[in-house]
Amino acid sequence: METLMEMLPIILPLFIIQLILMVTALVHVLRHPNYRFGSRGIWMVVVIVLQIIGPVLYFAIGRGEED
Amino acid sequence: MRAYAAFCNKEFMESVRTYKLFIMGAVFLLLGMMSPLLARFTPAILEAVAGEMPEMVIIIPEPSAYDSWLQFFSNIGQMGLLALVIVFSGLTAGEIGKGTVINMLTKGLSRGTVIFSKLSAAAAIWTVCYLLSILAAFAYTAYFWGAHETHHVFLSFFSMWLYGILLIAFVIFGGILTASIYGSMLLTGGVVVVMMLINILPGARPYNPITLSGENALLLTAQRTVSDFAPALIVCAALILLLTAGSVAVFNKKQL
Repeated sequence: METLMEMLPIILPLFIIQLILMVTALVHVLRHPNYRFGSRGIWMVVVIVLQIIGPVLYFAIGRGEED
Repeated sequence: MRAYAAFCNKEFMESVRTYKLFIMGAVFLLLGMMSPLLARFTPAILEAVAGEMPEMVIIIPEPSAYDSWLQFFSNIGQMGLLALVIVFSGLTAGEIGKGTVINMLTKGLSRGTVIFSKLSAAAAIWTVCYLLSILAAFAYTAYFWGAHETHHVFLSFFSMWLYGILLIAFVIFGGILTASIYGSMLLTGGVVVVMMLINILPGARPYNPITLSGENALLLTAQRTVSDFAPALIVCAALILLLTAGSVAVFNKKQL
């Protein structure tokens, strides 16, 4: 696992982007209570558990209309 | 032409405000960075797992730059294109379903312009994000393996790009036809499944556009030649033109 520690600076950007994606989606879920379907709880789980595809799904089909 | 530019502009603004651009950029950047890393570390992870079970012997060849590109094309071809279809599923369906496009059509915007601007805006976003992932993958691959031999670089990447455009054309066509996001996604998904089934027939394989997203890595290592890809490229380009013309024709007839 020593190589993994060496590679940390290379892997780090990957985690950061993934985190940004998740946090952006999560903030949006919490701030906008209207969804096309599903509830806040469901979308929070989807966004946190499903890496990458979760936030994509939320923004593409879960996000409600702006009001 | 001014209407086209204005509507393209509106499409870009919309993709920024609906997070489409952000999502696409992040996903493709991630996929580009992930692929070389996966190729590099999978053997190490497998070894660590095998080390705990001494009775298991796994012989893993040393990963190479080729594995990295193999990963790249399989990630973009599956996860990337899935994200592309999901993100753009509401491209035409949303506005027709909600009726917001009627306002602009009554002001004299032609229906063809709507289709062409939507296609160009989506194509531009896909192109930029795809280039981003290629650059990321290239940087990581070069870092891990240094200079490596590749063949038909442009064609390998271009095939996947054209296949992405084909999917966008299907998404637009499905949206026009059904006026629903799910209809648009279902049509595109259905077409991909049909193309996978067609791929079972060996005779049809060279003409099947799905080849363009499946065998790019083989092209990169010269296990395939340009002539293996040419028929599929032509079929794919013809389908894109046909679908776009079809979308305009159906849209012109459609009661809004």
